[in-house]
Amino acid sequence: MAIDGLIILDTAGRPIIQSGFRSSSSAYPLLHIEALNNALSKASRPSDVDPVLYVSSLELDTPSACCHVKHGDLRLLCPVSGDVNPLYVFAFLQTFIDILREYFGQISAETLKDNFDVVYQLLEETLDASGHPSTTYPNALRDIVLPPSLLQKVLSVAGVTGLANQSSNQHPFASPIPWRKTGVRYNANEVFFDLLEELRAVVNKNGIAAMSQVWGTVHANSRLSGTPDLLLSFAGSQTLTDCSFHPCVRLQRWTRDKQLSFVPPDGQFTLMSYRYQPAGTHAIAIPFTVKASVVIDESKGTFDVIVTSRLTTRTIEKMTVDWFLGETASGASCAASNSSSWTFDSRARTLRWEMKNITPSSSFNLRGHFATTNKVPRPARGFRIKFEVLQHTFSSLKVDQLKLTGEMYKPYKGVRGRSMGDVEWRW
Amino acid sequence: MAGLNLNTIAENATRLGARLQETISEHTRDLTIARGTGASYFDTPEDKVQNIRKQLDSNSDREKLDAMKRLIALISKGRNVSEFFAQVVKNVASHNLEIRKLVYIYLLRYAEHEPDLALLSINTFQKDLSDPNPLIRAMALRVLSGIKVPMIGSIVVLAIKKCVSDISPYVRKAAAMAVHQAYKLDSGLQPELIEIISNLLRDRSPLSIGSVATAFEAVCPTRLDILHKHYRRLCRTLIDVDEWGQADLMSLLLRYVRTMLSRPLVSEQGEEEVDPDVKLLLTSCQPLFQSYNPAVVLAVVKVFYYAGPPSEHTKVIPPMLRLLHTSTEVERTVLPSLLIVSQSLLHLLVPAYTYFLIRSDDIPQVKKDKMRLLSMVLDHDNYQTLLREFTHYAEDSDDELVKESIEAIGYCARLVPESAQQCLGILTSFIQSKHSIVVANAVIVLKLLVQSSLQQEGLSSNYSSTSIISRLAYSFDKISHPQARACILWLVGQYAASDVSQNGAQVGPEGVVPWAPDLLRKVALTFMQEEPIVRLQAVTLGAKLLVLSPSDRTLILLNRYVLSLARYDLNFDVRDRARMIGSLLSGVVSNLLEDDEEREDQGGVILRREQVKLVLLDGKLGPSPDTRIMANDNKSLGSLGAITGKDMIFDSVVPDWLEHGVESSLRDSEDDIPLVPTGVQSLQSPTPRSIASSSRPSPVVLTPTAPSPAGSFARPDKNAWTDLDKFYADANEESGEEESEDEEVDDDDEETEEEAERTESNEKPEESSEEEEESEEEFEEDHANRITRQDDSVHDT
Repeated sequence: MAIDGLIILDTAGRPIIQSGFRSSSSAYPLLHIEALNNALSKASRPSDVDPVLYVSSLELDTPSACCHVKHGDLRLLCPVSGDVNPLYVFAFLQTFIDILREYFGQISAETLKDNFDVVYQLLEETLDASGHPSTTYPNALRDIVLPPSLLQKVLSVAGVTGLANQSSNQHPFASPIPWRKTGVRYNANEVFFDLLEELRAVVNKNGIAAMSQVWGTVHANSRLSGTPDLLLSFAGSQTLTDCSFHPCVRLQRWTRDKQLSFVPPDGQFTLMSYRYQPAGTHAIAIPFTVKASVVIDESKGTFDVIVTSRLTTRTIEKMTVDWFLGETASGASCAASNSSSWTFDSRARTLRWEMKNITPSSSFNLRGHFATTNKVPRPARGFRIKFEVLQHTFSSLKVDQLKLTGEMYKPYKGVRGRSMGDVEWRW
Repeated sequence: MAGLNLNTIAENATRLGARLQETISEHTRDLTIARGTGASYFDTPEDKVQNIRKQLDSNSDREKLDAMKRLIALISKGRNVSEFFAQVVKNVASHNLEIRKLVYIYLLRYAEHEPDLALLSINTFQKDLSDPNPLIRAMALRVLSGIKVPMIGSIVVLAIKKCVSDISPYVRKAAAMAVHQAYKLDSGLQPELIEIISNLLRDRSPLSIGSVATAFEAVCPTRLDILHKHYRRLCRTLIDVDEWGQADLMSLLLRYVRTMLSRPLVSEQGEEEVDPDVKLLLTSCQPLFQSYNPAVVLAVVKVFYYAGPPSEHTKVIPPMLRLLHTSTEVERTVLPSLLIVSQSLLHLLVPAYTYFLIRSDDIPQVKKDKMRLLSMVLDHDNYQTLLREFTHYAEDSDDELVKESIEAIGYCARLVPESAQQCLGILTSFIQSKHSIVVANAVIVLKLLVQSSLQQEGLSSNYSSTSIISRLAYSFDKISHPQARACILWLVGQYAASDVSQNGAQVGPEGVVPWAPDLLRKVALTFMQEEPIVRLQAVTLGAKLLVLSPSDRTLILLNRYVLSLARYDLNFDVRDRARMIGSLLSGVVSNLLEDDEEREDQGGVILRREQVKLVLLDGKLGPSPDTRIMANDNKSLGSLGAITGKDMIFDSVVPDWLEHGVESSLRDSEDDIPLVPTGVQSLQSPTPRSIASSSRPSPVVLTPTAPSPAGSFARPDKNAWTDLDKFYADANEESGEEESEDEEVDDDDEETEEEAERTESNEKPEESSEEEEESEEEFEEDHANRITRQDDSVHDT
């Protein structure tokens, strides 16, 4: 009993890719697709649909569930039945999405249709016939399933596909390290680390955070020849808690002296993730403030929202303020201050206000009103605010040093920081 | 001469140039087409479909590849393309790997429909099993085991045996996966497959272990005895296994530990006594708490929660909290597990309550689970913050959350007496809300609170309670929710008895609070528009007031009006109530219904006023204790049932511990020397093992499986039977003889096995110990499942 299969639906809810479902009736996948489409059309907000849908019908002899995730325009769903932990399913779906992204870059219905033979091969390799994920390391997969490339297309046009394939995957799994392939050669050896931190907070009306956490991930892009063994240490690693690591990291070493010792996979991967725990009682500062006044009247509401940056040197970028106006909201009209724009999504009934750049200590203002079809409007009691700050981390974590052993060259190293935020500000 | 030559060269050069240009332009045209090829495959027009057959028969690899891609696209669109089976099968031996992979994908889908044609291709697959490329060997085995033709069962087993000793771990992994498929194909192959599994368990490479674990769970979940010898090594290699394998292997090891080892004991001094083998599992799992794969983390959590001693349980909370921020979906699935864990580890969740604060864009299920967690962690220290949160949630746009948050406020008032006044204040302020759902729920919760506070006479909140009732009564007009209206009517009726002794100057009728009759008047006016539940309460309210103040003329008139309306009500409940109340009251106020002639003639007992009062007002049950928090469950962590909230048939149940574990010496093995704990398990020199290893009589299978010495002859006897048989059969087939002979052997096997089972179940020794019986039963069930579905009730007892 495990994952019964995988289906990818396009925007209209039609299946594009569908795995075998060899052990079940042909009605089984259809039932699940229908259950999901039904739930989606019934929900007032598409995001409200439970990611684990219970599916039961007379045609199925056992109850089953449909686990689904949304990625871009697509929906990936896995019907499961019996003794299986949905977390296992979601972990697999996420891994599969990562693999697709690794292969095709941006994933859309079009890219999948362009490359569906590759997708089917990937599906065959990543999910075995009994419904357990098998090979999911991108490095190992690339030996088995060739990523589409221009070179390959040229070769296929020239009619020499067979040759090209045979030569490159003569020895799959010849590598002693499952996550790294052998024989990697680069002219310029480089390794980049991206520190990406996300602030998640809930802020009360008075501007005091009820909850604020900073979660960080270290993404790496390794372009190193041979089998390099890296030793990475941070300045300020004592502020990191709740860490999790890529399988390549030697966990004992981290437990002992908080250093990351690993043989990296080739290409991009997520090295670790952590939670930033500021020393002492020092709280994490929210980089902006919101002042909102909302007046609810019969069938309408008026509002006036001001966002002010609290940063003094850096610019907050790509800030979006989303506000769900209630299930009965019918429209909104606003005046936004310069260089910001607003839209109203009538399907999700959400007002979105976008500000590209908020320079230090500047303010933005949005005022307007919205209408509802019923008498008493019930807008959400909080704004969902997302933003980015480049070249900045909340934890000010620094890479102290990077040592390379096992190979003779000296790699070029690069470290970058970036912050994001996902804040609910209540009014 | 030279000039001529030069001329020809120049001519040739221009020709060559033209030729080159031509080819290049042609190729680039192809290239531009190639960009959109996939999409065009996907929308293949009908006439092209007819062309596929021709393309498949052509000699050009490119044509074939094109045709295969079209076919796969058609499959993807949900079209049945089994008509091309014959043409596709021909290409199974293509030299082009690309074509071959697609042919494999096609065959896997349609082999079932065309068994005869599929059999044609089997020779090719068997040949492919010796291909130098491990990829092809693995793929051939995968397709071979995926062809659902029961006849080829024994061929598949032979192929698996060949691959088990393959030099490449990737192929060995494919062999482990094929075991599961072969079992599905023909469950009669079980004995042979079990032997293959026990061979695979010896594999040093961690790559295939995960697949072996899943095969084990599928083929012989009850034969945990096979694992004895391997248990310690499996624990140690756990860290080197790939992530999915870790998750599968951990659940298998957990089951082993719970079935074969003894429960960790806690002495009275708080010292814990843990079996060293349990300890080994825990220490080897612990680093995996830091895995980036949520599925692995939850598997470790399960191991610690179900196999660890109480002191180790505390370790499961931080990793679970860490998962919450990963994604909406993960949050949705981890919260139910936290709810289960919270029943025993609540104190660890209390400081972490900020993880459960609800955001307005959480999905409804998440809101619900967080709300439950928040009310569970509520205590004397954090109630101020949480009350603020609950008050905020009461204005959410999700009705369910509004209801639960208001209920939580009521719960807080009861749990933390200091907060009662504050809670009442919040709730009464809700009555003024514009949203009817808030008002309705506030009234219902207030009713419960008033009731319980009035019942506990120790609390001198009597005054405030009545003032709340009066406030509710005054806002009766504004409240439209029927249940809330009914609530108010009931409350007023129940507590309308006025404190005559206190105020000398009575405004309204004697004996009742002044505002009560007015409420009756209001509801009498709108009686016909009310919901049945409100009408019922209106009739009762009238009766209660009349009993309290029987001499008041207005009340008599009001009652008469209400009762006559109710007598002819459309709802029979209301009519019944009116009839009952009418007869009850006949002893209190004579000729209440003067037009009722028959009543005079009726006999029966007429109750006095005191008796009626007792009937109407006394003996009410207090509010039932808060049940909404104690809803969950004996569901196991991370099961599908715990997350959907529905019963799923196959939800795993973690087996209970043994009283005394099996002897630890069973787990001793020659390779007990600890492995070098490198992060990278050396696969560099996978020891090539010959097929001969499988013919070795495996000591594991023959090991008596009895956990305790007492009464343990039933199972080893049986095992010896089947396995010895197997053993001899093996000796015959070892050199890979002909299929037909193999099949015969199989049949024999099954028969003897069944026979053995039958005889055994007849003469089951009565003196066998309890655990013995248990495992016996499980084992039997497994077999029975294979043959026919067994009545579940047997096993449940």
